[in-house]
Amino acid sequence: MVRRTLVTLVAVLSCSFAATAFGQPFPSVQLEFFEKEVRPLFAKHCYKCHSVNAKRLEGGLLLDSRSAQLRGGDSGPSIVPGNADQSLLVQAVRYEDFEMPPKGKLPERETEILVRWVEMGAPWPEELPPVEEGEKQGFDLEKRRSEFWVWQPVTAPNRPSVKNSAWPNNEIDYYILAGLEKSGLKPAKEADRTALLRRLYFDLIGLPPSPEEIASFVANKDSNAVDRVVDGLLNSPHFGERWGRHWLDLMRYAESRGHEFDNDTPNAFQYRDYVIRAFNADVPYDQFVREHIAGDLLANPRLHPTRKFNESILGTGFWFLGEWVHSPVDIRKDESDRFDNMLDVMSKSFLGVTLACARCHDHKFDAISTADYYSLSGFLQSSDYRQVRFESLEQNRKVAQQMADLEETYQGEVLKLLESEGIHQPPQSNPLADERVLVDYAQVNADEYWQDGFIFGASPRKQGSFYLDVDLDSDSAPRVKVATFGAAVSDPIWAGLESVTGGSVHDRNSLDKLPKSGRTLRTPTFELRHGKVSCLVEGRGHIVACVDSHRLIAGPLHGQTIKAIGDKPGWVTLNLDRYLGHRLHLEFVPARESDLVVRLVVEGLNPAELAAMQRRLKEDSKAFREYAVVAQAYLNGETDPLRKVALEASEEGGENTAERPEKVEQVVQKWMRERQQLGAQIVRKSYLAPAIMDGTGEDDRVLIRGNASKPGDVERRHFLTAISGDSPMMIQRGSGRLELAEHINDPANPLTARVIVNRLWHHLMGRGIVPTVDDFGFLGERPTHPELLDHLASRFVADGRRIKSLIKYIVLSRTYQMSSHTSPSAMDKDPKNRRWHYQPPRRLQGEVIRDALLGLSGRLDTALFGPPVPIHLTPFMDGRGRPGKSGPLDGDGRRSVYIAVRRNFLSPFMLTFDTPAPFSTMGRRNVSNVPAQSLILLNDPLVVQLARGWGERALKSVPRSGEGNTEERVRWMYLTGFGRPPSVEEAHAAVTFLRSNAAKRKVVMEDVDLWADFAHVLVNTKEFIFLR
Amino acid sequence: MIEPNPYPCHRVRPLPSSRREMLAKCASGFGALALAGLQADRAFASGSDLPIGSAGHGPHDRPRAKNIIFLYMDGGPSQVDTFDPKPMLDKYNGKDPGEFFNVEPTQFNNNGKVLASPWKFKQYGASGIPVSDLFPNVAQCADELAVLRSMTSGFPEHTFANYFLHTGSGFQGRPSMGAWVNYGLGSDNQNLPGFVVLNGGLIPPGGLDCFGSGFLPASYQGSVFRPSGTGVANIKPTESSAERQRDKLSLISQLDGMATQQYGQHDSLESAIRNYELAYAMQMAVPEVMSVEGEPAYLRRDYGFESTYEPTRIYAAQCLIARRMIERGVRFVELTCPKVGGDRWDQHGNLKSGHENNARAVDQPIAALLKDLRQRGLLDETLVVWAGEFGRTPFAQGTNGRDHNPFGFTIWLAGGGVKPGTIYGATDEWGYKAIENRAEIHDLHATMLHLLGVEHTRSTFRFSGRDMRLTDVHGHIIHDIVA
Repeated sequence: MVRRTLVTLVAVLSCSFAATAFGQPFPSVQLEFFEKEVRPLFAKHCYKCHSVNAKRLEGGLLLDSRSAQLRGGDSGPSIVPGNADQSLLVQAVRYEDFEMPPKGKLPERETEILVRWVEMGAPWPEELPPVEEGEKQGFDLEKRRSEFWVWQPVTAPNRPSVKNSAWPNNEIDYYILAGLEKSGLKPAKEADRTALLRRLYFDLIGLPPSPEEIASFVANKDSNAVDRVVDGLLNSPHFGERWGRHWLDLMRYAESRGHEFDNDTPNAFQYRDYVIRAFNADVPYDQFVREHIAGDLLANPRLHPTRKFNESILGTGFWFLGEWVHSPVDIRKDESDRFDNMLDVMSKSFLGVTLACARCHDHKFDAISTADYYSLSGFLQSSDYRQVRFESLEQNRKVAQQMADLEETYQGEVLKLLESEGIHQPPQSNPLADERVLVDYAQVNADEYWQDGFIFGASPRKQGSFYLDVDLDSDSAPRVKVATFGAAVSDPIWAGLESVTGGSVHDRNSLDKLPKSGRTLRTPTFELRHGKVSCLVEGRGHIVACVDSHRLIAGPLHGQTIKAIGDKPGWVTLNLDRYLGHRLHLEFVPARESDLVVRLVVEGLNPAELAAMQRRLKEDSKAFREYAVVAQAYLNGETDPLRKVALEASEEGGENTAERPEKVEQVVQKWMRERQQLGAQIVRKSYLAPAIMDGTGEDDRVLIRGNASKPGDVERRHFLTAISGDSPMMIQRGSGRLELAEHINDPANPLTARVIVNRLWHHLMGRGIVPTVDDFGFLGERPTHPELLDHLASRFVADGRRIKSLIKYIVLSRTYQMSSHTSPSAMDKDPKNRRWHYQPPRRLQGEVIRDALLGLSGRLDTALFGPPVPIHLTPFMDGRGRPGKSGPLDGDGRRSVYIAVRRNFLSPFMLTFDTPAPFSTMGRRNVSNVPAQSLILLNDPLVVQLARGWGERALKSVPRSGEGNTEERVRWMYLTGFGRPPSVEEAHAAVTFLRSNAAKRKVVMEDVDLWADFAHVLVNTKEFIFLR
Repeated sequence: MIEPNPYPCHRVRPLPSSRREMLAKCASGFGALALAGLQADRAFASGSDLPIGSAGHGPHDRPRAKNIIFLYMDGGPSQVDTFDPKPMLDKYNGKDPGEFFNVEPTQFNNNGKVLASPWKFKQYGASGIPVSDLFPNVAQCADELAVLRSMTSGFPEHTFANYFLHTGSGFQGRPSMGAWVNYGLGSDNQNLPGFVVLNGGLIPPGGLDCFGSGFLPASYQGSVFRPSGTGVANIKPTESSAERQRDKLSLISQLDGMATQQYGQHDSLESAIRNYELAYAMQMAVPEVMSVEGEPAYLRRDYGFESTYEPTRIYAAQCLIARRMIERGVRFVELTCPKVGGDRWDQHGNLKSGHENNARAVDQPIAALLKDLRQRGLLDETLVVWAGEFGRTPFAQGTNGRDHNPFGFTIWLAGGGVKPGTIYGATDEWGYKAIENRAEIHDLHATMLHLLGVEHTRSTFRFSGRDMRLTDVHGHIIHDIVA
């Protein structure tokens, strides 16, 4: 009520204000000009999209009243009365901006009319602004949140009562049965034992049971026989391979970048292996989520049980598995497109909402605003890509921490020694007061000191601090030196870090050639105001300007963002004119086996000014240089500094023959020894993996209509408004991703648990309770069994969010174990099986079909993990970025999850069987039925070869043993292939085929070709690719 | 709605399947059932209630064309050197373009001087459409063309622009136009794929995903054919004799029938079984459509089969096979360019030799295709589209090349309900930016669908929380080029 009064008041005020602003009415001659010349132009060229009656208002801009023109649209006011050049309207029709009207430039004469009109002050008669016919529905987030089911809290419902109380095996069955009974349906009978076993094997590990496993299961009449099989399968290392592949569908997993040259995504397979291990280890789902969002920021990362490396950080690799572009002409747009994909995958996978729909406008249907979108993109804006030395990370972090403590100790000790001799430090130089200084490492505080790795120490080296100068080529005692200026300095103790990339195919990215991993110092992020950025450095290496987080430097553009540092200390200038107004940070990478000192980063200084600044720095450090001479002389046993100077000048050179005072020597030796001991604990060699890294905490700007060149207001980082409001999140330092992860995991968040339990249900039952597994929003489907969904979600959370235990819960239900047989009357009542009156046969996925074939042929190599097996290239797989060498036809017998996924060279076999192209989250694969699938199973050389292997195995497994051996062999093949013995008719048909073909071909019954053909026939029967 | 298959393949051998006999008793016959089966199989996992197929399916409107042949000019041919003559370039050749207009950022950022076209233009036919000397043969068909000189693209990089041209989005993973067309209309020939890419040798940057089905079911995916040999993968039976294959298929069918006891009756299984009949029919139909030997010698000569230039011979085969495919009801055939030694139409340098070679490869076959279609009365129902992903700059890259230009370029359409002998839209006097009747790729897509009788705003597929369209939320039919 109060609010409405206020609005009315404002309206009244603004009306009267408008009247005042108009002041005197415009002269009639001007109004006549407007009516005759100007208004018709608007009507003709603009009103289709920019009037209250536009079918679809473009850019939020109305042009049908003067007030609307002054108010403007998404990009600001349309006109500045009296100033044509400043008016967007005029810029647009001149095609300087916007290029309006879009169908073609106005004739010169008409453009001139509009210019004149604006210059006149935009005369317009006093009239009420036109009113929209039929008011449009506004975006009301709170209304949508309160009205739509998915935003409501997860409940813990009471299980419904059922009539047939003998049927349920666990609570799931009550929910299903209650629904069936309400519809007058009965559940199908139990699937037979062989069907159930095959279903369990394929669903849980993606491989068929062996004849022995079938025999023992069928024979086991124990009530817990299923239980034990399920436990065995859940504990199989193949479980992670099967369920990991499901997860990879969400993560648009691929090992190359696609786009023009299909560049490598180096070490992506480490993420794949992480996922498989995580599923096998049954990592609680909240931990799994946390590791994906912020695994790099955990105080206590999860360690690999035996190899002790940091597992958690590997989860963050998912952010960077998307398509990447080299040489984007519009580099900021490229960033916003990358972020869009990352947010799309994150929001659909973890939350089941289509956040990306809110990139250009508030969500058309869901309670998600554009502000929500950009508040979340701020988390990415504050983060960075890197290849992390994940194997050495934790150990080296420990070493680095101890090293920092040790250095602090000895700084104090040495200082004490000097003080006791009356050698006192002068006061620190004043900071450079020059706004063109972007970073001064003499002044940077620990909060802004970012690096990948540890080699630049815990903080910059302060002016006046002490360090050991070790001559690696001689065994003479180290000299103690005094830093005369503050700088970021790499510590030589870290020399020799070796980082290993696996499974490289082709990597044109110049950045990947730099030894960056674990050896990179990065500046805070800043906005570029001047195209010339200069860095005061010493040592060899490279400077990288990371503009708009772009990370694929492979020509023809953006080569200027990498600049080598030469041998001579001094200024290195980058020419970044192209990136004025963009956001970027710099990175400093010492060359291999070299050290690097980074003092200053400045912008916009010409060479003379740079020289002047350097002179000034020298001047400023004068007191410290003098202090250093005296202090170093004492510490290194050069008793008389003046004599030392004289020595250096003379022929004898700088040879120091004097002895250190004993107490100094003791300290230096101890310092040296402890450093070396710590140095020996550094893990120098490590594999790399894609991972995220925190940078300067930043909020993003809303991009008007999603247009990267039209930034609007800053939106502070927060989670979805509909869940936790839009007040800014409390973030300690950096990106805030850890806080974001906690919001996703918050039990009060109604999405996360529902989404994951629904995914598990989908994979086991063939259809989610919410069938649109990635979209729980308005355009998605409603849950068929909302209470069951909440039951599963609340149980899952209460149970410690264990994936395996929920899978077990589902497969032990009678619902899961129903047969695929149904009756016509039941089909009439429930044709789409929405109530789950039976288990429909499910077609196996491409990977499973191939893996089963490998298993049957005896070719399966059950090795886990490792770099991808190169993809086999057919002549039809062509195009830029084609790998130089084709992989083996049978993928070395490895399971399909280990075959290379190159975006532009996807396996035709997999694509045909609906393995998704990796572009976004795909939690529900298509299940299509196309002749190409039959053609593959009929004629693909791999299928033919593996079928032959199966036939050969049949001959070996059931050797010739007289009468009945053909029947026996047929039986063995049915058992291995379909998990059941053949029926009498099937056996008869098979034997008839074999006999008559043996006769036709004039071969013995043990002929390999004959059995290869029979195996091939079985592969082509539907049962091979369907679960009963 | 379901009509009998107009091209029944008589070579389908009856399989001794009781199921098939049962199916055959149904009134509509095999082809129709197969079609129905395929359409039913658009659905996802069993029981899904997605409104798939309810919205997207045309035709909504009177179709003018039945098929599309898309001549994709990979790399971006230069508009000012082909169909959009600009005398200003001759006049100011060698001058700094910055003196005359604002030069936008380019892919290679190596912008040179205003560069006159090395080729002369002449006007052709009754329509007087100007064509450069690069296309002496296509020029003879000028009166068939609707030349659209005001096309624009949103992207100056190949891959984005390729995805955009093919899928209406700059990013990987969206359905290609051929997939959308088949989703909207289905196929007239169940024995051949509805969307064929005849690959002359150059798969465009962005790769096979330019021809993908994106979020649509795999059935709409483009099948990549080579214009020689078996054409497509896995089409040649693995068996050494027809009899052996028949024996195996017969047993498959028999065992499938028996397995019903194991499952019960299910649509998904029925469809999978029918799939084999389709696959078997395809094994016959594909070699038939690929065999051009039966075509008259003069016609093959016209197409360029006897050219001394190998890329011309390759493209000749592509064009002739494309005609054979649309004759047999393949809905959408796209031709990619053959390799000409240098680069695709992407002359960042050596414009003269590069464009000459690329034009030489395609000019004669395209002209022969247009004439052949006209002569057979097929041109009226076949829309032919000639387009690159963008055009090129009117100023040089370096000294003798041209960089990418998405701001204004030329494509043309012919046949299939297009107003012949038309020029539509214009670039500025430099041929740099479209200024009159500016068209977007979405407009091209909307128009192509319109000519097929599909209303682009109504052909939708729900994915990722939206009803997706080929034209996204854009697209206006270019009525001025519709006859």
